[in-house]
Amino acid sequence: MSRLRLGRWLVAIPMSLLALATIYPLLFTANVAMKTRRDYILDRFGLTDALRFENISTAWNSVGMGRYFINSLFVVTVSVLLLLLFGSMAGFALSQLRFRGSSALFLGCLAGLFIPFQVIMVPLARIMADTALIDTYPGLILVYVAQFLPFTVFLMTSYYKGIPPEIVDAARIDGSTVYGVYRRIMLPLGTPALLSVGILNALFCWNDVLMALVMMPSADHRTLMIGVTSLRGQYSDNIPTFASGVLIAAIPVLLVYLFLQRQIADGVAAGSTKG
Amino acid sequence: MRQRAIWSAVLVVGLALAGCGSASDSGKSTSSDGKLVVWDWKSGEPFAKSYLDKAKADFKKKHADVEVEFVAQPFDQYYTLLGAAIQSGKGPDVMLFNGGGQIRDRVDALVPIDDYVAEDRQRLAGWEAFAKDGKTYAAPVTLQGYPIYYNKEIYRKANLDPASPATTWDKFVADCAAIAKAGSKCFALGNKEGVGIQFWLSSLGSTTLTAAEYDAWIAGKRDWNSPNVKRIFQTWKEAGDRKMNSDGANSTAMFNDSFALFQSGKAAHVMGLMSDVGHWQDFNEFLTPEKLGVMKAPVVTAGTTPSLPYDGGIGYAVAKWTKDPKVAADLVRSLSSADALKAFYADAGAIAADTTIDVSQAGPAVATIVGELKSGKPALHVALSSKTLDLMGRLSQQLLSGSITVDEVVKQLAASDQAG
Amino acid sequence: MPMGNTQPSVRPASAGRAGGAAVTPAAHRHGTRPRRTRGGLGAERYAPYILVLPAVLIIVLLRLYPLLLGVNFSFTGDGAQNGTAVGFGNYRELFGDPLFRTALSNVGLLVLLLPVAVAIPGLLATFIYLRVPGHRFYRSVYFFPAVLSPVIVGAIFNLLLAFDGPLNAVLGSFGVGPVDWLGDPDIAMFMVAGVHIWATFGMALVVFLAGFATLDAALLDAARVDGATLRQVVWHVIIPALSRTIQFVFVTTMIGMLTSMFGLLFVMTSGGPEGSTYLPEFYIWKQQGQMNRPALASAASTILFMIMLVVGLLQIKLLERSGKED
Repeated sequence: MSRLRLGRWLVAIPMSLLALATIYPLLFTANVAMKTRRDYILDRFGLTDALRFENISTAWNSVGMGRYFINSLFVVTVSVLLLLLFGSMAGFALSQLRFRGSSALFLGCLAGLFIPFQVIMVPLARIMADTALIDTYPGLILVYVAQFLPFTVFLMTSYYKGIPPEIVDAARIDGSTVYGVYRRIMLPLGTPALLSVGILNALFCWNDVLMALVMMPSADHRTLMIGVTSLRGQYSDNIPTFASGVLIAAIPVLLVYLFLQRQIADGVAAGSTKG
Repeated sequence: MRQRAIWSAVLVVGLALAGCGSASDSGKSTSSDGKLVVWDWKSGEPFAKSYLDKAKADFKKKHADVEVEFVAQPFDQYYTLLGAAIQSGKGPDVMLFNGGGQIRDRVDALVPIDDYVAEDRQRLAGWEAFAKDGKTYAAPVTLQGYPIYYNKEIYRKANLDPASPATTWDKFVADCAAIAKAGSKCFALGNKEGVGIQFWLSSLGSTTLTAAEYDAWIAGKRDWNSPNVKRIFQTWKEAGDRKMNSDGANSTAMFNDSFALFQSGKAAHVMGLMSDVGHWQDFNEFLTPEKLGVMKAPVVTAGTTPSLPYDGGIGYAVAKWTKDPKVAADLVRSLSSADALKAFYADAGAIAADTTIDVSQAGPAVATIVGELKSGKPALHVALSSKTLDLMGRLSQQLLSGSITVDEVVKQLAASDQAG
Repeated sequence: MPMGNTQPSVRPASAGRAGGAAVTPAAHRHGTRPRRTRGGLGAERYAPYILVLPAVLIIVLLRLYPLLLGVNFSFTGDGAQNGTAVGFGNYRELFGDPLFRTALSNVGLLVLLLPVAVAIPGLLATFIYLRVPGHRFYRSVYFFPAVLSPVIVGAIFNLLLAFDGPLNAVLGSFGVGPVDWLGDPDIAMFMVAGVHIWATFGMALVVFLAGFATLDAALLDAARVDGATLRQVVWHVIIPALSRTIQFVFVTTMIGMLTSMFGLLFVMTSGGPEGSTYLPEFYIWKQQGQMNRPALASAASTILFMIMLVVGLLQIKLLERSGKED
């Protein structure tokens, strides 16, 4: 017991250093975002001489970021909700229910996990064009859902496998339908995993550039990260504006995470006391 | 509560999808009647605004009923996206290209525009970079060249005459030693992407290869075993061995870390560009026009005459699948019209393809460059295939780190050049 | 989810059932049972299939089917040979290309580094779960790098690892270096992989923390009462209990390494120096875009898919077996 406690204090040292290393790049980015282009080119590493926010407003105003922000918010929210719904349904079925072909279906989903987007990029673009889904929000949402669904199904399946089958059996004996078990037991019990996979999926979709570029050729359908990426230009050396764009894109995600990670932790705590 | 929230969310999602779906059913394919879609990587930049406004106004005069949509793609992904568009046969009507290999590799998807642009032939320079097998596929917007810039202030500090930089390679190497003594690097070099060697090849090409060899190279008859071709790679290696380059060249990005070294006065020379970035306008801003010099390439092989290497930089092309190539070609012409290019020169700091533009206000360096356009020749590296350029980049890094010989380099390059 | 409260009027009449957390589950269920079962034994029997249907449909139509098309495409030619069948020509060219072979050997290197990339977030999650001093703080900040897109992470480390950058400055003050971190072909790949691990460990951490939710705290208490060391707790309690989570993190970390390091590579090394940091993904991108060889890129993609499939399934099997032994 006491040795464990001592160990805790010992590991706190490297963990603090690591924490420092994780905060530093954000501060570094913020520092760059405050500089003028000239200051940055002359001295990349030095501290900014003033708190400047012009770059942030330049970045925001330059390429229709407001519009892109709304687009991203909409696409990411819908995609993540669909992912969580389909992922938890499939995860529940594949982990807790016994039915013919379940392992084959699980392997099929898993195979989807191993497909890099590049390999299917062109065929997928053609499918989307043929079904008139290209350049539409449902099209991009479908592509996101398809891209991250294998990951979500895999995570939910392996999470739900950790839940003792007796819980489901007891509910079934009680007369609950499969759907009832899903809604009243699996969804609440899955909260920590759903929140985690939701955060990760939101992050993947939010930070995606390539899929959005391929699926959304129209300028006003684009997402925030495309806007940020285009701040870099071909050879643009206006890194401070780019850094500002990065902050604009990163800060909302950070806030959402900080808000949700409490819920995860609560979920973790609840799960662990339940035993 | 939670269930209700989730089911409601599902409902919202469903409605949203249905809503979007129906709203976008009427959606357009990328091109439709009365509308032209243009892809480029410039139109999002603030400096391109007045250029586009002028071009659009010019086009409006010819086709008032045709709408034009510019879509700025991130340059990093530009050719990947274009490839996807070409393969699925649905893409923009008009697209921007870099001159050289990038457009030549993709002419299957383009319409030759010779018949439409005949009137512009004389006014614009740089057509060759957009031509293949005698047909022209794009109208040039800018010229791209590779002058050697130097910092007169550093020359003064090293007790060298800023008015007369070295004219021979040996003198240049000696000057570099003096510059090193004064505490500066001779070259700001960025070779992380393997681009440094391309600029080296083109900048020193005219004074290393004989005129006959140079013309043969451009015409596609390249003799990689000629001593002069080897000499180019030897001087590259020599500059590395003598520590003339800035430190860590293989991990320094040319865009824009190496230019920043020159701009901040840490290196005396840089092989820069004429348009876009790393050029006179950027350097003027940091060094002031008085301190910025442009020098002719020092003579490596006796009897050669230095000339400025340049080609068409970027230009707009017409896609094969556009409804009416004539209308699209008219847009391409508007994008190269005199007024538009003048605005592009002034705001973006590019040497426009229209050589009638007056540049006398922009300082001595740019005047020198424009003065040399007359005697200029196509750049050597632009004639090489993408594949050979890529290989050359990697081999040049090995030359700098000393893990390969010049003989081996030219052997591998010859093989790649002949294969493709 | 605030949306829940804005929508009740849209829900069907039976919605009342769901209302009120105060209703005990048993009573609640009892009331609805008859209607449910009458709803159709068929629906109940096919319930598992209905549950997996949306996921399977989407994955088959939008991933596996395009994959087949892509594989098919990899047997055709590029450029002048566009559309004609070339058999295994693209594959022969790939294996003849030293650059692609470098990319494959780098894949091997990454697979070897995989345990490190999994152990780091795993240990950190363990410590956070064990409530080391400041655990709340760590839990918040460790995720910071994950929200930055790879391009910006790459740009930042480009500066930190520059020849004249801060890392060399620090080393220089101890009389070491300077080292050309990203310019030395023997070091660069490790730097890129290291930065990738740094940039993504926050994501794996989140997954691990979720996994701890299923951990039986009684086991931990028992171990503590027995006076187990941290090492023993990790080894004998946490690892066996979290075997499925570990398996998951192993597989997804591998996929992340093989398919999402593009942004980092692009910014930090562009595949260099001397081609030493090529990965298949970067190779594919380059062939598809700059080199205009889409069919060759498809062949490379197919190989990348096969590698991931084999390594991934192998991992799952191996980890399953070791999980059972415990």
